Amino acid sequence: MTELERRYRRLLRAYPTDYRRDRGDEIVGTYLDLAGPGRRWPSLADAADLGRGGLRQRLRAAGATDLIPGVRLAGLLALITAAFLAGFWTLVERNGPDPELGVPGFGPFVSVGVIAWLAWLAPALLMLFAPGRPTRVAVTVAVLATAMVPVVSGLADVPRPPLYALASQFALGVLALAVGNRLPLPARALPGTAALAGAGTALFLVGPAHWSWYGWRPEDILPATGGMLLALAIVLAIGLGIRRDAQGGWTVAALLTPIGLLSVHILAGIVDAVASGAPRPTYPTLIATAVAVALLGPALLPAAVALRGRYGTGRARPLEPCPTCGAPR
Amino acid sequence: MDTPLREPTFLILTALAREPMHGYAIIGEVAALSAGRLSLRPGTLYGALDRLTDAGLVELDREETVDGRLRRYYRLSPAGDATLAAETERLRHNVEAATERLRARRVQPLAPRTAGGLA
Repeated sequence: MTELERRYRRLLRAYPTDYRRDRGDEIVGTYLDLAGPGRRWPSLADAADLGRGGLRQRLRAAGATDLIPGVRLAGLLALITAAFLAGFWTLVERNGPDPELGVPGFGPFVSVGVIAWLAWLAPALLMLFAPGRPTRVAVTVAVLATAMVPVVSGLADVPRPPLYALASQFALGVLALAVGNRLPLPARALPGTAALAGAGTALFLVGPAHWSWYGWRPEDILPATGGMLLALAIVLAIGLGIRRDAQGGWTVAALLTPIGLLSVHILAGIVDAVASGAPRPTYPTLIATAVAVALLGPALLPAAVALRGRYGTGRARPLEPCPTCGAPR
Repeated sequence: MDTPLREPTFLILTALAREPMHGYAIIGEVAALSAGRLSLRPGTLYGALDRLTDAGLVELDREETVDGRLRRYYRLSPAGDATLAAETERLRHNVEAATERLRARRVQPLAPRTAGGLA
């Protein structure tokens, strides 16, 4: 066995064991047929191809092939929600403090968060004109900008939005990376429209004459947005389910993490109410609840796939016996 | 299998229409059919062959070992033959309709639109 073959076989571990035993020689043989002379390492594109193929095959083996379209739909809904919130916060940020009052701000803006919110408007617009890679790159930039806000705020000693506003936006952004490439024009226009709707909502709710609304506004807007997102995802899941399409269930499951972070005030309030009867969640409970949502939420999808594979009815058909020797596979 | 077929699926079925082929040959044939535009990778190809096999459009034909490498040959099933024929007819109809419209456009160029539309 050559070193190149050994390396391809290592990458083949992305596939389930049974499938690898059955098709591994054939797949690696084809890679070796395609490899030029003197090649010693699989290309990055080959590694990505094997990773994607392995994931698809694991989902197929678990009878969960509708997970990928379901997560793509969740990605679109996440991008729409992130764009709505970015439009909202961008308008809020414009209401910076009066310099004469000596309240800290970030130039004419309420906080350094304005950089992240503006970064989010780029993928919302790009989705309309350049879906696919350009939009995903812009989402990545926006996610990184969101993650950097607390760091910049700490280093430069400037105000920032509350962490729960940033954490939910970060989670929405990570999911938005799964948005599909081939969407019809009306669907691609939704994130940009949502950003405008968010700005309009801010004008209506906050108005132009106030500043420093971060103190209490996220407690209202974030859980309401999370509730609407959950309701929309459930309606879509029911609609798709009526057409015998199970992808909507995966969409809801994928969205539970950002929805949980958007609703962290309510969840933490429930925890505190049960634990100590406190009317408002304390800061430590908020932090603990957010960490629990961030850890448990992403584990839901693989757990659901494992359960579907174990108890579901959608298992892939086994391969037919070998036509040459008749052996079962 | 959903129709209309996506281009890689259509070209894989087209490649198998002439004779049974193994994975490496299918990749070469799809590249030739698409004039080099579509370059399938093995992970993608075998995933597509799995889906086509599940849908009953492709069948396993035989196995061979060449230079110590396993090669499985795949062939078009009767259902695959019918699906490819129906899809080709649909595309032919679209091409003929578009060709007809373009020909008419060149013979009789469109008059420039009047601003404000019809009175």
